[in-house]
Parts: sequence; C-alpha cells; structure tokens
Amino acid sequence: MLGRLLHRVSLLSVALLALGLPGFAVAQDVSPSLEPIDPQAELQGTLLAPRAFRAAAEAIKPQMVRIETFGGLTAQAAGAGGFRPGEGPTTGVIVSADGLILTSTFNFLKKPPIITVVLPSGDRKVAQMRGKDETRKLCLLKIETTESLPVPQWVPRDELRVGQWAIALGVGFGEKEAALSAGIISAVHRMGDKAVQTDANLSPANYGGPLIDIEGRLIGICVPLSPGGNEAAAGAEWYDSGIGFAVPLPPEHKIFTALKEGKTLERGFLGVQTKQLEKHAPGAEVLKIVPKSGAETAKLAEKDIIVAVDGTPALDPTHLTSLMQRYVAGDELELEVRRGEETLKLKATLGKVPPPEAKPKPKPEVKKVEDPAKKPEDQPPKDNRPAEDQPAEEEEAPAEKPAE
Amino acid sequence: MRLSIAFLVLNLLLFAICTASLEAAENEASLPGPFAPAVAAAQNRTVKIYGGTIGRSPGYATGIIVSDKGEILTEQGSMLASGTLRVVLPDGSEHTAQVVRRSQTLQVALLKIDAATPLFFDLTPREDAAAEGDWILAVSNCFKVAEGAEALSVNMGVLSLRMRLDARRGLQDFPYDGDVLLIDAITSNPGAAGGAVVDLHGELVGMIGKVIEGKSTNTRLNYAVPRDHLADFLAGKEPTGNSVATSPATRGDLGLRLFPLGGRKSPAYIDRVVPSSPAAVAGLKADDLIVSVAGQVIKDVGDYERVAETLAAGTEVTLEVKRRAELLMFKLTPAAK
Repeated sequence: MLGRLLHRVSLLSVALLALGLPGFAVAQDVSPSLEPIDPQAELQGTLLAPRAFRAAAEAIKPQMVRIETFGGLTAQAAGAGGFRPGEGPTTGVIVSADGLILTSTFNFLKKPPIITVVLPSGDRKVAQMRGKDETRKLCLLKIETTESLPVPQWVPRDELRVGQWAIALGVGFGEKEAALSAGIISAVHRMGDKAVQTDANLSPANYGGPLIDIEGRLIGICVPLSPGGNEAAAGAEWYDSGIGFAVPLPPEHKIFTALKEGKTLERGFLGVQTKQLEKHAPGAEVLKIVPKSGAETAKLAEKDIIVAVDGTPALDPTHLTSLMQRYVAGDELELEVRRGEETLKLKATLGKVPPPEAKPKPKPEVKKVEDPAKKPEDQPPKDNRPAEDQPAEEEEAPAEKPAE
Repeated sequence: MRLSIAFLVLNLLLFAICTASLEAAENEASLPGPFAPAVAAAQNRTVKIYGGTIGRSPGYATGIIVSDKGEILTEQGSMLASGTLRVVLPDGSEHTAQVVRRSQTLQVALLKIDAATPLFFDLTPREDAAAEGDWILAVSNCFKVAEGAEALSVNMGVLSLRMRLDARRGLQDFPYDGDVLLIDAITSNPGAAGGAVVDLHGELVGMIGKVIEGKSTNTRLNYAVPRDHLADFLAGKEPTGNSVATSPATRGDLGLRLFPLGGRKSPAYIDRVVPSSPAAVAGLKADDLIVSVAGQVIKDVGDYERVAETLAAGTEVTLEVKRRAELLMFKLTPAAK
C-alpha cells in the first residue's frame, strides 16, 4: 500500500516537474487500478523531490520571521497542566506588506511582556500583539516598518488534496536556518473545518511557521490542536507523531479581519445539553437549557430536536459538538429545530463559555458524547494527555459540550 | 504510549514491506523501488549490539561497521560499561566485541571484533554530501525487533537541519559538544542509537544518536552524529570545543551593570552605566533592556554574563536594546579592564 502510494506520487512528480507544471499532486484523480511503473521514471521522481522541497522552502523563507520573547512566566508556570515551552525562539509568517505577522498563540505560553521579531534581513523589530483566536491557536503580531514586506501566496483551500506534498518549516531549534520536514496532506478538513492535517513533523520547532505546498505557497500556519483540550498548549503532546495541524487563514477570511481589529476570539457557547435520539435517528434532543445562554435567548426549549446548524444536518450530539467547533463566541447561527410536528428556524448568538464555578452540576447519565477525540481515522496520541483531560473536561461541561 | 505507536508504525511498515515484496514476486514490472539499493547497502554495514544492562533489562543498541578489520562505531552509553558485548553481523554471525575508545564530547565509542568485515561505511569526506530536504534512510535495531540474521528496521525521512546541539538527557545536560543532523524520521527510540543514517546512494550521512530532549523546543530530537565528526573521532581527533573564553588579559569591558535583583534568569535590564565607559559614550541608559550582543540573543542576565566574558578589548561589537517601544542599535568598543 505504502509502496503504491510512493510509486504514484513519484511518477506524478516526474511527469509534472518535467513539464514544469505546478502542483504535481493537486487534483490528480488517479484511477485505482495500478498502472505499471517505469522504474527509471520512479527513481528520477524520487531524486527530484528533495530539490522541489528546497525550492519550495526558498520561496517562503523571505516571509518567515524568528520570534523572540523576553520575560514572562517561567517554563514551569507556563506549562502547568500541559506542554512545557522550550527556551528557543519560535516562528511566524509575514502576511501583510505593512508588517502583520501570523503565528501561533502556543509561542506565547509564557505571556511575555516583550516580543521581538527578526526579519529575514536580520533586522530586529519590537512587535505588538494584535488579536488572537484561541480556537485556532493563532494570533497576529504587528511590527512597524517603512519598507514593504513580501507576502506569501495562499493555496486556495479547495485546491488541496489528500496525498499531495506538504512541507513544514520553523526556526524553533534556535539556528538561523529553518528546519525542514516533508510529508503529505492527511486530511483537508479537520477540527470543525478549521485545520488541514499533515504527517510532516510538526512540533514547537515549527508551531507558528508555515506549512507549504511543493510550489512554496502557504497551506496554513502550523499549530498544536487537540479535539478535546482547549488550553493553549493542548495538542503539543502530539508533536512529531505523524499527526499535525495547520490552519489556513488568508487575509480575506473574516477571522483574519477580526484579529486585525485586535479581537480575542474564544470558543462559542450555545448552552444546551442534548442526548442521542432513539434508534440513532438523526438529530440531537435538547435535555436542558443553560440559563442566560444563547440557547435560552433563542427560545430553544427542552425536548426540541436540533436537526441542523446553518443548514448542515446535525447527526447526533457528538456531531453537533463538532459542528459548534466551527464557531466562536459572538457568532450568530441558525438552528433548524423540530418541535413536535413543526419545524422551526431559530437564530441564536453564541456566548462565551461560562467560568467553571458558574457551571451547573453534570448529569452523568446523559453523557452520550464520548468525544470527537476518538474519531477512528485519527491516530492515537503520543501520550495520554488528551485522553486524560477528556473526562475531567466533560464532567465540568454543563451539557454535552454545547460550547466549542 | 509513544513506544506503542512506534511499534504500530513499525508493524505497518513491516506489513507494507511484506506486501511490497509479495507484489514484486508476482509482478516483475514493479522493481524494488528507488530506496531498495540504499537500504540494502546500509543493512549490510550495520550491526546489532547486545550486552550490559539498561536499567534492569538487557541492553541492546546498533552499530555501524567502519573498516574491514571489524571496527564498529556505536553510541557511548551505560551498556558499554560492564559485561560482555555481543555483536551480530548482518549475516547473523555473533562475535564478542571490545571497547577500544570512547568520546564524551561526541558520545561515541569505537568497538572491535575479531572478524573481517569486508563491507563497511567509508567515512572520507564527500563533495555531494546530503543537504537539507534530501531523503535519508535510518537503519537501526530499534526495539530489538530484528532477531538473529533478520535485517534491521528502516525508517524514511528527510534531512531537516544541521545545528549545534543543546540538549538534556533525562534531567541532566547532555554532554555533547558538536553539530548534529536533525532528521524527520522518528529515530528517538530504544536501541536505535548507533544506527546508520544514509542517503539515497547508501552513503553514510551520520550515526543515530540517543534519546534526548532539545532545550530550545523541549521535544525529543531525532538526530544523527554527522559523518565528519565520526571521521574525526576515528582519526583520533576530538572535535573542536566551544569557543574559548577570552583570556582575562585581553578581556574587554563595556561599562554596563545589570539590574542585580532576580538573579541570572531575569531579563537583562541595565541598572547603571559606568560614567565615561564605552556604554556611556555610546548613549546606553539605565532601564534599557539588552536584547542582543554581537549577534547573540540575550534572554536573561546569565546570557549577558556568558557573552560579556568573550568580549575582547578593542574589538567593536553591536548591542541591541529595547527602550520603551523602540529597538535601538549601538556600536561599542570594549575597553581594557
């Protein structure tokens, strides 16, 4: 199986590199029957791939910056309950000519008062933190610059295909040169559609850095993500494990605009507790409404059956949770609800997740949701942390995680 | 958990290899593929090593053959300290090995067996040495899953970066003084140390190192001791150590006194500038935060003290400081102390 994949990838690379066509793995629908492979072409393709990796890396390096932080918490304090940050610098990507830099919130676990950025030219600049999206683990930094900085080209999301090359770069090891890891795209839509998944090695060495395609175009910013954990470092325990995430956030994205305006985006909270319908019928039945929540304001009632969110059918409580991951606090969404015989469309505005002490006691008997953490297609984590965190998280959750 | 994943991956890999070889047998058109010659070359020059103990369990590691006289390089470690060392050659034959020499700075040891080893890795320098992004294959005795004459396990990846190592092993600093090659194949596994990292030509790129954690990232590093360091060790040369601190006679002083409270781990704020010192002449002020000296990042007072010791009187250095929201650059010539 592995052999076949390699055959195909390398054959395509030969064909397309030879023709000078961009993106040899993009949108190639190869028929499942195994064509005979020309061994010479295969060898040549394999030999050419590293050159293509290097060329792609060269294309993005002018947009990569090294981030250094000064002061803040100690590594112990910053890593409490999760991954402990290292001593090294971290990586960011210039995304606007006037000095906006996209990077990961993971790089600021120490809450440093002072952030500096070293440009590829060697110039060091003081950076100000603009907005951040805690659900995507992304943030925007801003530096003052008189010159016009180079910006990367984003790969349109719909061009991405599972199996195409993906290259991750980062300067987190502390050297001037970036470390390069090559792999493929494992999934195009993950974590409530926020992220692209890759098997290139992602770790604190390249969190905040670029995941690029074979042409050097930006696929996304490497971040630690975990289906269960929500703390800033969650997902970092999966580093270098064959499962990594990069978040695409081109400037036209509304989240990018929000970050530019300095907003802090958090998980959204609808405020319902739901349960599975009998015989696994599609939908999620509302058991309980959290007072003063978006669900209450939307006049959602107990025994309502949520069948769709913004037009996407909700299959069961787990799926509903995963759908909610697409939103942040403040978002308005339309719920399609079955109440008795009638079908209603209710508009709800998501609030923020209430602090733990304000949360009502859990109802263990309705804990239907095991969690998306256990999606079968995901590889098991490197160590148990997300699994360990999971139950605690869930016991506190008022509903079966209506938030997210 | 990490181990079991590695096992899983290994099993999948073995499965894939089995499937691949079956396919090859069935269909002559699908030849061994681009990696097979390099894998074979590496497997024929890499050995299994057993002996000593690691904790309470029997020790095992990997080694690479570096001459036709039975000379083998492996990682220096506790398993070499006691008991009999057994080396299993690629043909399955078993030999007793003696430790000839060790290097603390490279964490490498030279073993010798009383047998001819006609196939060996040549360590002479190469023009077309592997570069960042090049394919590499890592061959090792990881998890000692290869038994007897079974061929060693292979992982594939690319060369990520050559860098200076600053790492921990357990809670202690890892006493390695030299460059390492980072690779993106996962080799940070039991028994893999001493294994071969080769390029697509089967040429040795480096030797797999131990399970350690890098300080800059706090992650396990998958790395190899570079071929040139191994060649130096084999030739009896120790690698050049850290840049030696400037001798007290020629040491220069900038005239800066840092904020003393908070110790060596606190940010390097200037507390006082000695009047008419180089720092005063250049215009540095109290409360400036030192960000870099001579191109090196200063994270804290300790960093500054280390770099300050290497400054020579009369040689100009560049200092970067943060003053309020501004980053300012100063050129200073240290004065004799």
